[in-house]
Parts: sequence; structure tokens; C-alpha cells
Amino acid sequence: MNSVFLLLIITLIFPVVSYLGYLSRIPRLDSAISLANVALALYLYEFIPYVGTFYVDFTTWVFILMVTSIHLLSQVYARSYFQNHKIGIGENLFYLLMGLFTTSMLFSLEINNLGLMWVGIEATTISSALLLMAEKSETSAEATWRYIVIVSAGVTFAFISIILIYYSLGTLQISSILGMKIVPSLTLNVAVAIALIGFGTKVGVFPVHTWLPDAHSEAPSPISAMFSGVLLPTALYVLYRIYQIDPLRDIFVWAGVISVIAASLFLGYQTRYKRMFAYSTMENMNLALIGLAVGGPYGLIGALLLLLSHSFGKAGAFYSSGSILRYTGNKKIEGVHGLWKSMPKTSGALLMSSFAVTGTPPFGTFFGEFLIFYALFSIHYYAQLVILLFFIMAAFISVNYNVTKMVFSGEGEKNGNEDSVMSGIAVLSSVIPLLIGIIYVVVTTVAL
Amino acid sequence: MTPGKRMVVNIDNITLVETLLQYFFIVGLSPLFAGIFSKVKSMVESKKGPSILQPYYDLAKLLKKETLRPKGSGIVFIYAPYVIFGIYSLISLIIPALIPDPIYFTASTDFLGGAIMLLLAAFIKIAAAFGSNSNYSALGVSRMLSFNFLAEGTLITVFFAVSLITSTNNPYTTNHFLAANPLQNISVVHIFSTLAFFMLFLYETGKVPVESEGLMEFGMIDAATNYEYSGKLLAISKWNGYIKQFLLGSILLNVFLVPWWLNPTFPWVFLNIPVMFAKWLLLIGIVLVVETTLAKLRLFRVLDYLATAFAFSILFLIFTEVML
Amino acid sequence: MILTAEDLLIPISSLILITAFYMQGQEFIRPMIRGQFVQSILLAVVSVIMWYLTHDIDFIVLAVLIVVLRGFLITYFLEKGIRKDQVHLHEKHVSVAFPFLISLVFVLTAVLIVYSVVFSSIRIESITGNQGILVFPLALFFQGLFLIASRRTTYAQIMGYIEEENAIVLFAVFLLPIPLLIEASVFLDVLALVVISSVVVLEKFTHERVEELKG
Repeated sequence: MNSVFLLLIITLIFPVVSYLGYLSRIPRLDSAISLANVALALYLYEFIPYVGTFYVDFTTWVFILMVTSIHLLSQVYARSYFQNHKIGIGENLFYLLMGLFTTSMLFSLEINNLGLMWVGIEATTISSALLLMAEKSETSAEATWRYIVIVSAGVTFAFISIILIYYSLGTLQISSILGMKIVPSLTLNVAVAIALIGFGTKVGVFPVHTWLPDAHSEAPSPISAMFSGVLLPTALYVLYRIYQIDPLRDIFVWAGVISVIAASLFLGYQTRYKRMFAYSTMENMNLALIGLAVGGPYGLIGALLLLLSHSFGKAGAFYSSGSILRYTGNKKIEGVHGLWKSMPKTSGALLMSSFAVTGTPPFGTFFGEFLIFYALFSIHYYAQLVILLFFIMAAFISVNYNVTKMVFSGEGEKNGNEDSVMSGIAVLSSVIPLLIGIIYVVVTTVAL
Repeated sequence: MTPGKRMVVNIDNITLVETLLQYFFIVGLSPLFAGIFSKVKSMVESKKGPSILQPYYDLAKLLKKETLRPKGSGIVFIYAPYVIFGIYSLISLIIPALIPDPIYFTASTDFLGGAIMLLLAAFIKIAAAFGSNSNYSALGVSRMLSFNFLAEGTLITVFFAVSLITSTNNPYTTNHFLAANPLQNISVVHIFSTLAFFMLFLYETGKVPVESEGLMEFGMIDAATNYEYSGKLLAISKWNGYIKQFLLGSILLNVFLVPWWLNPTFPWVFLNIPVMFAKWLLLIGIVLVVETTLAKLRLFRVLDYLATAFAFSILFLIFTEVML
Repeated sequence: MILTAEDLLIPISSLILITAFYMQGQEFIRPMIRGQFVQSILLAVVSVIMWYLTHDIDFIVLAVLIVVLRGFLITYFLEKGIRKDQVHLHEKHVSVAFPFLISLVFVLTAVLIVYSVVFSSIRIESITGNQGILVFPLALFFQGLFLIASRRTTYAQIMGYIEEENAIVLFAVFLLPIPLLIEASVFLDVLALVVISSVVVLEKFTHERVEELKG
């Protein structure tokens, strides 16, 4: 047993260990353990690529980093978010499930076997279902139900894809599949196309995205942040691994383009802000899908950059939305106004994160999107490129128009007790995409 | 007899006798089976019941009565029963109802043609009912039409399914093939097409889960189409009903359910008459069991019933296509 | 002509499909649960036949798992959700004719497309030697999806989901002996799903459109 394997095992179990830290009632021990896990994930960079029971390369590493950091942020945030509110499913269960949820995501990312990856994705559904209805309202029960039914139907469908892959390649081990010289056959084409629909359910590919806005808008904000920031990317990662077996580039790119169109059209008439951010997630995920499908250095790096900055940016958006929801008690965009006065820090975070998730320069998402567009351009996908540019513009306008309306319109009253932890977390996670953008610029300039 | 091989019709006196025998057996004895059915049914219900010859008495009585035609009824109304009688007469010569070998007129059409002629008869009946200028008839017709689109689809698909099994749509060949290969009877397609055809038989003859023959206004379908007929026309109309029931029953028995024990050679063909009686008693028994155990469906549920039959027939039709 | 074990596979698979249609047309919850029970038992029978054909002990394990988990445990969990005084619990406005025709069209087009496009050009070494039998799991899968889509009650949707899982197992059983590990996971998540959903069942019986979840 070598040290990398041990390290990976530790990253896997730390989310659950941090639950034990929570049980111990030592203040902030759970957050400390999660923080240690982020550090471990960063340290993991030294050892990539690693092949064995687990398969970790640079792409995987970026995803692992995302999952561990968003878990940390959500954990800290949830403590304040639920401070004066009872969690419907019980606090212990909530934090346990949160740990298990993170572990299952990490498991799906790290494991070197497509079948077990599928198991991991199913496990994320199981562990997150109860988290989603933590607030136990009528609508959240309904949203949970839709989430369970639609997603498990989709993921079950994806199992056919796994069977077909095993049938035609004789193995499910990712490292050996990637090392193989694969001759694309009709079976593999079908397998990958089925995976697009099956795992695409969880990624938010149109038209199987319907659970997504419901779940995101009804889940408690820390959970929405985890869904949007890391659960969907995890599913996207699995889809990407299957895509690598037999790249059906045209189908994937068009699926992504159509989903972006759908998302930006839906964005146009949203009246609830969390729901609006959910559709923005759908848009970003499909952009990343396009980037991964186009591939090449630009496509891949662009997609990773987009995903990484988006996960923090969107988490920031949901954290600030959660604070706003706690303060105003209103889910509607019209019901919220004058935030700059009542919640200055949160509204700043909201504004920043909404710029981040819509790809405003110099946020990391902007560079990600730019690289993806460049990659599209370099393989002469002009039609897709033009469509994307237009609809991303539309999405940019609808999200930022609504957010600025919430922040600046109308009169707000001064509000002395803005929770410092909640707003701090929101500000932190909305600043990180900016940092990522700046670091990216610096690194590339230095490299040039 | 292997499937696909052409059957040859011998032109001789024996075939003539066989043809006449089958024709008069069907046309002449079909009311008798209706009589037996109602008698047995009454017995099951602990009633005395009418004589088994009652349908004949009815027909004789009606034939003597005056024929009235409603005001404004057209020419179709008057001639339809005769035309339908003719159609059924032709069908009775092309299905293996009594003689398992081809007879005169058998070559005129195949299974599908037989099905289409049944549908033609139904169509003429509907046209005639429309021509009667009566509201009750129109009511019955509209009900009939809203159900028949499924029933007729089932009829055709069932025949297709049988054709797929034996790769021919000659009913005689099918009968021979099934009689020679008893195991073929348990092929999935066969079982389910039999089931579908049986459900269809119950519907077409107005037996209990559907009970279209009842005179209750809410459920009546068949009775409504005969509503304005009287006298001789009514007699022929009723007779048509008996013949239709007999034809469908014979197809069900000889092609789907029990294709065995029919003698093809000449002097022995007379033995087929008791054999057919026995088979019919079996069918009557099955129908009675269904009638006494099931409750009548409400009118709008008839559609569900037929949809089930249709689903069965077409699903397994496709599966045969895929599997064979 | 002697009846062989292979010959039994097709009738039993079609019976499985019939149970799916039965559940689709059934409006009462209890009989639906029983339909699901019968379906799972039939699936176990198929697995036993496959064991007889291949002498692979995995199939027996699979059969036992199916009987215990889906046959009894899930049936028990589902029935437990129905109170004693709710024997006639049913979903209102379940039509039969229309869904049957729809699912017929649905099943047929799906099966024909998948069958003609996919399996005609690849060589599937189905153990039965008859690749046509793969139509049953595929049809069952789409039927399960349609059951979920066409019904509003939690119970019906759960059963649609179980039907889908059954279809997957049937597919895997016919196609190749897949490592038992993965099959076990199929069961695990069914089990977990039922446990979770029994929580939901208690709180919500039907699922209608919700104003807040529109758009």
C-alpha cells in the first residue's frame, strides 16, 4: 500500500470524519477537518497522475479540489444558516448525510472503474435526497420526489451504457480503457449516446434537466451550493470519462448548445432568484460539456477553469441568496429590493458572484468561456459559436439585470445584524473566481 | 402439409357435397348454437330457459310478420341485411368451419380477405343503421364506431399473427399446420393472439364483459343498430348475427383454440359434425364461465377492454417478427 | 419436439411484460404492488433458468437476492405504507385504453429503433442464442419509464422505478454474466430508494403541478 493510495483513502473518509468532529462538540473541529482535507487535496497535486485502485490525473485533481473546498464552505455556512432554525430531518443526520454525500462524490471521481463510478453517482442521489428536503416543506418534498424519480430513472438508463461498454471492451477499468486502442463501433456509439442522456440527467442536459431548477430552488442554500457547485460537475466528470472512450463530438456539442439555448430562454422569465441561479448552473454546465467535448488543450483547460470558478461563484450566489432568503423570507425577485442598504456585504457578494457565474471579465469563468469559444473556433464550429455567443449574452443580461434590481432598486432599511459568518463565506466564495481569473492571467503571462 | 404450399381444390362431386354440407351446416345450424347457449346459460342460472330451438321459432315468427320501414329510410336500409347475408355466406365457404380441406369458393380469398369481408359487413350494417333515420340507431352507431376502430384493428392483427406463425394466410393451411404441430400451439404469439381473439369474440358476439346485445339503453350497441328493423328484414338481420357468431367461433376453435380432430377424407367428413358440436360445447362452456364470473363493464370501459386485446395482439405480433 | 429450458425463457419474459401492462392499467395500489411482486418472482425464475443453462452460480445468488429483496422486502415496505383502513387506496382517473395505446406505440417504436439500429449490426452473444429476447428488457424499461411519467401517485412512480431496475437486471442477465458486485449495487439502491421514499410516501400521496415549481 503506497502513500498516494493512503492519501486518497484519507480524502475519501475525511468528510465523514469531519462529521465525527461535529459530534464531538468541540467548536469548529468539523470545519478544521474539512480544511485539512482541502489541504490534502491540494497536496495531492504532487502525486498526479496516479493509477491504481484509483485513477487521478490533473482533470480529476481539479474536481477533487472543487468538491473538498465547497464541502468546507457549505459546512461552515450551514452551521450559521441553521443556527436559529430547526433542521427537519435532525441535525446529526443532516451533517452525516452531508459527509456521506461528499464522500460519494469523491468516490465517483477517484475510483478507477466505470461501474463503481456509476455506483458512486447512485450513492450521491441516495445521500442527497434527504438533504434536499431538510427544510421539510410541502414544495421541498415535491422537489425531492422529482429529483429522486427523474435522476434515478436517468442514472438507471446510464447503466445500460455501462453494460454495453463492458460488453464491447471487456473491462470497466478507466486506466486500461484509456490506454486501449479503441475502434469506434456502433455499440460504443450507442453506449456513449445513452450515457449522454443517462448521466446528462444529472448534469442538466436539455430536455432531462427538469428536476434541476426544482431541486436547487427548494434545497437549503448550503445544499443548493453543493448541488450546483460540485454534484453536477461530478456527474459531468463521469460523463466525460465515458465520452473519452468514443468521442461523439457533434452530438455532445449540439446537446450542449441546445441546452444552453434552453437555459438562457428559461432564464428570461424567472421570477424566483434561486431558480434563476439554477438555470444559470444549467447554462454553465453545458458550456463546460461543450468544452470537454471539443477537447484539446484549450477546450479542456477552458472547461476546467470554467467549472472551478463557477463552482465557487455559484456557491457564493447560493450562499448570498440563502442569507437574503433568511432575512426577507421572500423567494421572489420582486419581493427583494434595496439590499445594498440592508445587507451591504451579502449584496456585494451576490453582485460579485452573479458577475462570476455569467462570465464577466476578469473572473475565471470569463477566461474559461473564452478558451472554450476559442477551441470551438479552431475546429470551425462557427454556427455553434455564434449561437452560443448570442444566448450567453442573453443569459448575462437576464441574470445581472435581476440581480442589480434586487440590490439597487427601491429603499432598504438598515439592518444591524447581518450574520458575519454567512456573509463572510459568501464574500469569500465570490472572490475566489476573481482570484482564479487573476492567477490565470498572471500564470499565462509569465509562461509567455 | 408444410406451410406455404398451395392447396389444390379438387373439382368433383365429392367437393360439391362437402361445400354444400359446410354451407348448410353454418347457415342452417348457427341459430341452433345460439339456442343451445341461451339454454345452457339459463340452466347455469337455475332457470328453465327457452327451448334450444327458440331462435328458429323467432325467425319463423318474424318472417311471417309485416315489414315496416321508417319514414325517410333509404335503399341501403332495405337491402343491407340481404347483402350482409351474402357476404357471410361467402365467408362461410372460405374458412375451415367443418371441412379441413379446401372446397369450392375457398380460393376466392385468404384470411385477410375474410377479415376484410367481415369488416365490410360491419360497415354496411353501420351505413344501414344510419340510413334508418332513427336517433337510437345513430346512438348505437356512434358507440359502435368508437369501439370498432380497436376491434377491427385487433381482428386484422390477430390474423397477421397467425400468418406469421405459419408463413401463409390461408386458413386451411394454418389449420393443417397447427393440427400437425401441436407444440406450436404454445408459442407465445399463438397464446396471446388466441387470447386477443377470444376477447374480440366476446365483444363481437356481445357476451358479458361487454354485453352489447342487451336492450338497456345505456349499454346497447348491437341492438341499437337493429332498432328500426321489423318483420322479414329483422329476421334476416338476426340470422346474420347468428352466422357471424358462428363464423368467428369456428375460426377461434379451428384455427386458434383446438385445431385437431377434423377429418379431411370424404365419408368421414360427416364425423366432423359431432366433432364440431363437441368443440362448440367446449367454447360455450368457456364463454359461460367468463359470463358468470365477470361483471359487465361500464360502457366507457369497453374501450379499455378492447385496448387490452389490441395491445396483446399487436405486441406479440411484433415480438414474433423480432423473434422468428 | 421437446420443450427445452430456452423455450421457457420467452414465455416467462412475456409474462413479465404482461405484469408491466397489468400495473399500467391497474388503478388500485394493492394489486399493483402484487403485480410488482409477481414480476420480481418471474425475474428470479428467469435467473434460475439461466443458471440451469450456464451453471454459473452467480445466477442462483441473483435469484435469491431478487426473491428476498424485491419479492418480499420491497413488497413489505410498500404494503406497510398502506394503512389497514386504506385497502381500497387507489389513484383516481386512471384510464386504460389511452395509456395502453400510447405505451404500445412507445414500446414498439423504441424497441424497433433500438433493435434494428443497434442489435442488427452487432453480434450479441446472448446465452440463449436468440438475441431477439433482448426486446423484452428494453420494452420493460420503456414501460417502466412510461409508468413513472403517466402516473401521479408516489406508489405508482416507485413501482415504475422498480420496474426499470428489473428491466436492467433482465438485460444484464440475458446479455452477459456481469460481475455480481454491480448487480448487488442495483439492489442496494433499490432498497435505499424504497426506504427513503417510504419517508416521502408518508407525507405525500399524489404529485400534482405546484405553482412554485413552474418554469
